[in-house]
Amino acid sequence: MNHAIISCLHANLPATEAVLNDIDRQGIDTITCLGDLVGYGPQPNEVVELIRKRDIATCQGCWDEDIIDGLNACECSYPSQLAERRGHLAHQWTDDQLTDENKSFLASLPTSLRRDRLLFVHGSPNSQHEYLLPDMDAFAALERVETAGADILFCGHTHQPYVRELRDGSIRVRLQNADHECDQGEELTLPMRKIVNAGSVGEPRHGSTNATYVIHNDATDEVEIKEVPYDVGRTCQAIVEAGLPKVFAWRLSHGFEFAEQAEDASHVCER
Amino acid sequence: MIERWALVSGLRGDLETYDLIQRDLKKTRGVTSLFVLGDLVGPERNCDALLDRLKNPHSGDLKPDCIYGWWEEQLLAERGFRGERKADALRLSQGEDAVSALLNTVNPSHLKWLASLQFGFIELDCALIHGSSSDVGDNLTSETSPLILLDRLTRLNVNRLFTARSTKQFHLELTGGGINSQVKDLNGKREQQQEVPKRSVIGIGAGLNYTLYDVGSDKTHFLTAGSKTNPKRKGFA
Ligand SMILES: [Zn+2]
Ligand SMILES: [Zn+2]
Repeated sequence: MNHAIISCLHANLPATEAVLNDIDRQGIDTITCLGDLVGYGPQPNEVVELIRKRDIATCQGCWDEDIIDGLNACECSYPSQLAERRGHLAHQWTDDQLTDENKSFLASLPTSLRRDRLLFVHGSPNSQHEYLLPDMDAFAALERVETAGADILFCGHTHQPYVRELRDGSIRVRLQNADHECDQGEELTLPMRKIVNAGSVGEPRHGSTNATYVIHNDATDEVEIKEVPYDVGRTCQAIVEAGLPKVFAWRLSHGFEFAEQAEDASHVCER
Repeated sequence: MIERWALVSGLRGDLETYDLIQRDLKKTRGVTSLFVLGDLVGPERNCDALLDRLKNPHSGDLKPDCIYGWWEEQLLAERGFRGERKADALRLSQGEDAVSALLNTVNPSHLKWLASLQFGFIELDCALIHGSSSDVGDNLTSETSPLILLDRLTRLNVNRLFTARSTKQFHLELTGGGINSQVKDLNGKREQQQEVPKRSVIGIGAGLNYTLYDVGSDKTHFLTAGSKTNPKRKGFA
């Protein structure tokens, strides 16, 4: 059966509508959302209400968490000081706009969802703020999936969609302890695992203005990365009208090739 | 000069043990540094005399460099040094009595010094931490999955991680292996191969059990203070 995974809607209603239409057209009725319903974009209430109305299973994103807990994340959430200032502005604006009901919906979201061997999270199983980038250390990537007890880990947060297969892994070890001299050595065979990043519906950073999401077939394990065009101009205009930083509109209309990324993507916010 | 480190943990207020270790080290050739990897305090006995000695070494002592461990973390949290967090982990695992016992073993005058201790040291290409970079309570043993051990080394980007939380003595070397990965995105597919880096995790023990490490030759010696073990016999290349 095909099911769809969406992430990082970021209060972009036209993009969210376009993606949901695209999924509906294919007759797919299981949708999982990996969070970041709000932040950056101009329609936080509309997007949250659409997800609630459609009753889409959702886990909490980094923005959803910050709106609830307040901005006490360490600087790791932002790649630069400038990005941090803009982020704070967007945070404040979103906080002012969101209704109490929508805020309590965001607060009620779980940090992960599990269906059999599939695990759904926003950033990583460790934190909503950890980036699992496509080229991160392969052993560390496998460790995230393995420690969480999943076969396939679905994540978002990087805004770049990808499918990563980790296979044919092994680690040889040699042990010495206090009781005996050096051990012969052992080899651990590592299991095959997958990480699927759903990209971003409302703030794509893969070099095109199209919204992205993924479709997974749970019988064949095939994953398809989907791109959906939407009315970018409408969102950009709403960003400017809302008084949000113009750079958010510029990014959407340029496909944002030069994604700002955290300097140390492996850093996990300790709070 | 060839460096030889002594690594100690889990004293938990036991000045007698610390004294035995210091006497051992006096008789051992070439020890250049003494690292105390946390758990200076514990709930079993009054810790003030040990803390005084660590802060103000005797004239013949090898000067200790200390970091904080799981027990200090619990104490400092309960005493309000960790924001909202209290000694939740201790309370959950050993109950309210253990928390009050711990508070009674350390005079509050030591708290400021304990709070000034670091989480870990990075020396050359080695990390010295009570648990791991993931958590002060991370319980790494020789039975821990090598995948997790490798992850803890990778997070710090070091070749050796000295850990104390498990109280076990072990030297586990990652000697080989690798992994293939394929990334598919909207630009296409790319293959990647990665080898297991030659790295180690060393459990240094606790209490009377301590470890000597020869930096130049990467040799570990597991010792017990007060026993007549010759460091040479337990050498490990
Ligand atoms: Zn996002
Ligand atoms: Zn995020």
